[in-house]
Amino acid sequence: MAIKSLPDVVVATPQRKSRENRVKPALLGLSLPAILWYLAFTIGPLFAIFYIALLDWPGFIAPSSFVGLKNFQTMFADPVFWQAARNSLVQLAVVLPIMLPVSFMVGYYVSLKPRGHRILRVILFTPALISLAARSIVFLSIFSPTGMLNGLLRGVGLDSLATPWLASQSTALGTVMAVDLWSGIGFTAILFSARLSSIPEEVMEAAELDGAGQWRRMWGIAYPICHDYFGVLLMLQFIWMFFASAGSILLLTNGGPGNSSTTLSFLVYNKAFRESQIGYSQAVGVILFAVGIAGMVLIRRAFRPKY
Amino acid sequence: MANARNSRSNRINPLAHAFVWFYALLLVIPIYFMLVSSFKENTAIFNSPFALPTSLSLDNFVNAWDWAALGTGLVNSVLVTGIAEIITLALAIPAAYAIARSGGRIGGIVEKFFGAGLLIPGFAALVPTVILAIGIHLFHTREFLYLFFPATVLPLSIILLTQFMRAIPAELEESAMIDGASRLRVLISIYIPLTVAGIATISILNFLTFWNEYLFALILAGPDPEVRTAQVALPNLVSQTNTQYGVLLAGGLLTMIPVYVVYMILNRRLEDALLQGAVKN
Repeated sequence: MAIKSLPDVVVATPQRKSRENRVKPALLGLSLPAILWYLAFTIGPLFAIFYIALLDWPGFIAPSSFVGLKNFQTMFADPVFWQAARNSLVQLAVVLPIMLPVSFMVGYYVSLKPRGHRILRVILFTPALISLAARSIVFLSIFSPTGMLNGLLRGVGLDSLATPWLASQSTALGTVMAVDLWSGIGFTAILFSARLSSIPEEVMEAAELDGAGQWRRMWGIAYPICHDYFGVLLMLQFIWMFFASAGSILLLTNGGPGNSSTTLSFLVYNKAFRESQIGYSQAVGVILFAVGIAGMVLIRRAFRPKY
Repeated sequence: MANARNSRSNRINPLAHAFVWFYALLLVIPIYFMLVSSFKENTAIFNSPFALPTSLSLDNFVNAWDWAALGTGLVNSVLVTGIAEIITLALAIPAAYAIARSGGRIGGIVEKFFGAGLLIPGFAALVPTVILAIGIHLFHTREFLYLFFPATVLPLSIILLTQFMRAIPAELEESAMIDGASRLRVLISIYIPLTVAGIATISILNFLTFWNEYLFALILAGPDPEVRTAQVALPNLVSQTNTQYGVLLAGGLLTMIPVYVVYMILNRRLEDALLQGAVKN
């Protein structure tokens, strides 16, 4: 009984007149558990961000009080917030313009099925299978002061270049970005190659007969065909990096040294779980969410299908 | 066909070959380093990082297993992954069936609801999720992960599965219902057997997501060795071992084994699942 009426509460709609429409909502009752589950564990918490950002809340078990926009004032006056915003911007502005074009080119290469492309596919898939935790300990071992890279540099007589990659102000963020690129390009390239293989042979052959070289065919023909798909993958990487860099930074650098590798995403984590400023943390969360949505809309605009 | 392919791949600039294989090498080196180092001591790792190990001693693996309580961690990971998988399927299969077969406006709205959910990054709601866990007295328990993980993958699971269900001709269902079968009966004996491929796809995707999840598992289930998953246990080795890389990397390998076993058994299927999953986003 309840099943029949509840979908209308959730997705309020007046269209229940005809016999036909009355049967369908009964069927939709089967999707009700999933809807409620998703509302309870994702949508609800998401909306709560906007309220928590208005609270002074010094720790999860402490009482909270309403302070209006005070957290936002504190945040905008806090140099750490601006440094995190700058680091996030640098991360996006450096990693995305390298990751997407390189992935596209590697994907184009794989789609030509040259010798060894099967092994190449397996190799490119690797980063998609490795967990964040396992990947991070591998790169900790590589970039630590006594790790692989410094050992290697010393081995070839370049001691002067050896540095504590993840523990130095000048290299920490750069090293995190290198790890982002390492793990992002392979799988994105596979996705591009899947899309590119669906381009009809004749199109590329015609271009070849017209004398277009491999480079011209890649950027002059294949790219415009995949233009909107390029936008989809750009959006995917943007969301992933902008929102979820906290985990990788927590494991690799802890946001430091100083705040030199703290991004907005990591700041949300750090303020809430290390510094017990939950209201402040969620004020950053509101900014993260708003900028994230704006970014998605922009990317969508820029890569809208042109037909 | 073979000729066409050859013509497409011929005359690739040698620089392109060099560039792509150089990147492939960059991908392989850390994995190779991980493999050989897990049989070595620190001095050997630092002095000759790429040399093959001189012995196949399993000390590092044993130490990693003991110090990080990886046995308990792996059991917790299996429990969390398995139970969250079951709950996900129990929620997603009926929902996908309902969306695929209801047509009409409300079905469209529900589909859009989950479609929009694809764009919502789970991380945004980390802090309120903790408050929710505390509120229902499940903070720092595995049980909360059982309940929470399915919600993070519901949009993708439902959208993918709906497409598989749509491909089933409606006549099959109609004739079964004329014979007196209920909706549930139709779902269980017609739709589920015919969409096994789709169910396998989302199960593989969700397996990877659940098994590899770190930040939410760390914060929601907490660091207690009895409750934490293998992914949460692993980074503890960094401080515990005083950075003995061999032990660290051996531990990393141990947590990766289940994923690679699945990859070896389901190679093609797993690749397809990942492709479909990403494209739908």
